[in-house]
Amino acid sequence: MVTLFTIEYTQGEYNMIKQVKPLRTVRQFFIPTILSLLVVSGCAQNDKGKLAGANKGGVIKSETNTAGKAGPSSGTIRGGGASSVNSRSQEGDRANFNYLPGNANGASNDTSDITMAGLKDPNNLLSQRVIYFDYDKAAIRPEYLVLINTHAKLLAKYPNLKMRLEGHADERGSREYNVALSAERAKSVKQLMGANGARSNQIRTIGYGEEVPLVTGHGERSWQKNRRVEIKYEGIQ
Amino acid sequence: MIDDRQSEKSQKKWGGVLLNLTFLIAFMFLMPLAHAELELHITKTTQEGIPIYIANISGGANGIIEADLKRSGRFDIVPRSTIANIPPMGASFNAGSYQDKADFIVRGKQAADGGLSIELTSTSDNAKTFYTISTNTNRRRVAHKAADKIYEKITREKGAFDTRLAFVTVTNKASSNRKFRLYISDSDGYNPQAILTSREPIMSPTWSPDGKKLAYVSFERNSPAIYMQDIFTGEKRLISAREGINSAPAWSPDGNYIAMSLSINGNPDIYTSNVASGALKQITTSSAIDTEPVWSGTNSIIFTSNRGGGPQLYRVSSNGGKAQRLTFDAYYNSAADVKNQKLAFITGKRGSFHVAIKSLGDTGRDILSNGPLDESPSLSPNGAMIAYTTIRNGQNTLSVVSDNAKSRQFLTSPAGDVREPAWSPYLR
Repeated sequence: MVTLFTIEYTQGEYNMIKQVKPLRTVRQFFIPTILSLLVVSGCAQNDKGKLAGANKGGVIKSETNTAGKAGPSSGTIRGGGASSVNSRSQEGDRANFNYLPGNANGASNDTSDITMAGLKDPNNLLSQRVIYFDYDKAAIRPEYLVLINTHAKLLAKYPNLKMRLEGHADERGSREYNVALSAERAKSVKQLMGANGARSNQIRTIGYGEEVPLVTGHGERSWQKNRRVEIKYEGIQ
Repeated sequence: MIDDRQSEKSQKKWGGVLLNLTFLIAFMFLMPLAHAELELHITKTTQEGIPIYIANISGGANGIIEADLKRSGRFDIVPRSTIANIPPMGASFNAGSYQDKADFIVRGKQAADGGLSIELTSTSDNAKTFYTISTNTNRRRVAHKAADKIYEKITREKGAFDTRLAFVTVTNKASSNRKFRLYISDSDGYNPQAILTSREPIMSPTWSPDGKKLAYVSFERNSPAIYMQDIFTGEKRLISAREGINSAPAWSPDGNYIAMSLSINGNPDIYTSNVASGALKQITTSSAIDTEPVWSGTNSIIFTSNRGGGPQLYRVSSNGGKAQRLTFDAYYNSAADVKNQKLAFITGKRGSFHVAIKSLGDTGRDILSNGPLDESPSLSPNGAMIAYTTIRNGQNTLSVVSDNAKSRQFLTSPAGDVREPAWSPYLR
């Protein structure tokens, strides 16, 4: 088992290096790579059993947490205080969704249930189109890997489908640095989607900096909601 | 390509018509309205500057001159009640008898055409200097020019009151009717005129060195592009709409180049674009974020980079090459501006962001603002004052602080956010 995974990692890493160009710095390149490897080779296979069992056994709670306290929410890998806005409408916590596409018939590579209809189903993970980030970081938090992978599989399945990834930053720091930071966030999501089957010409990235905040407050709760990438499918609300 | 050029051309034509209309409307209706849109508050002035008394001038120029000199943080305006019965300009008086109250006394007279005659008298030796300022369609500029003369005579440094500010306003920011506007006003916030209105973000205004054009970033095509626009004719030209970010334009002091941050090679780097030919040159090649370029002379560019982990200021030759790190003493240093051998920038410490200033070449820096979320510092052309964005009552507000932090002024708008001030060069 261990040996099998090792082989897959090596293969995955080789593929990744071929796909991501130009080569990023260790910080920018290595983290998304490792994270996407988890999706490609590790998580996707582990998730099936874990989630299926969890859903049946009720181990994963689906309660929302908007209290602003950083409390762990079981079933997700925590990353950087995400729980402060941990509700289904705001957070890519897959534990909050009744239906996780890509797990039909117990086979993780089965995409028969990743469909356009899922985009319009509020109980489907595909209805979640916002990815949140840590302060001054463009790296993808682990809890968004399944979400991003699911959207990537939808793009892979429908080659004519196109999306805009709109990156945003919170109001702290300088405006133009934030434009660059938000563009890098959108690019991180695009790279991860590319590693999961989406084609480059399906995705356009834009960095809006701090110019278009989702909420206008001046505190961490507002800032967290504003540090985001919004997935916008062309022609789909 | 042909289609692009045609649409660009027609857009330019219609943009020009629209802008001319905007100017007409601005002249006819907006000016009284715009006065109400921006409000000035002087919250702090020094008692430690050079004491100066400005006698009444018919037409009210004395008020404008007083406010200008106060804003510089170098003068203590002697109150009207302290010195009474100064005879009008032309009549003789013994300035020496006011030596204990003021170092200088200014008397003036408005000419029939709106011009000004100004007399500056030193109370220590009764020496008098006379200035004649010719009239201008903007009457306030006449008083600003007088303030510049007085300032230069006393401080031996060129005055920068007869200059302009460009800035961005946002109204209805929480609604779908959100509007971004690019404004130009006098340096004290008066006579604001909108030169561009958009539903999509407008950012990063920067002046041409002749003070006649602005370059800025507009998202009006749903992606960022850099334009330049003549502030008098409204003529607008696309400078860069390349794949990725098109951000942070900065005009070189000779007017020949615009530096900018582009990500056409994968990540944000500094480039220069030849204004006449459009030829593009890559200046930095790091794999990190390089942005916010500003020219320090024509041969050197200071910019923000997170190549060392967090954002810090670096300097590079305007021909490219190895960059040298300039800031070390905070986890966040960014958004540099350079004028008259002074460097203003944003420094972040313990989550709070402040305007800082230092002399180029010197170590150490002075913090000029209280934070916690200050940004976009822009130096007056003489380096004596800094306009920046701060937050007051939950809104972006412009503030002007003197380089010695002794005077601070706020420009607020009841209609919404005011941000990203860009101080013009000296006007010709």
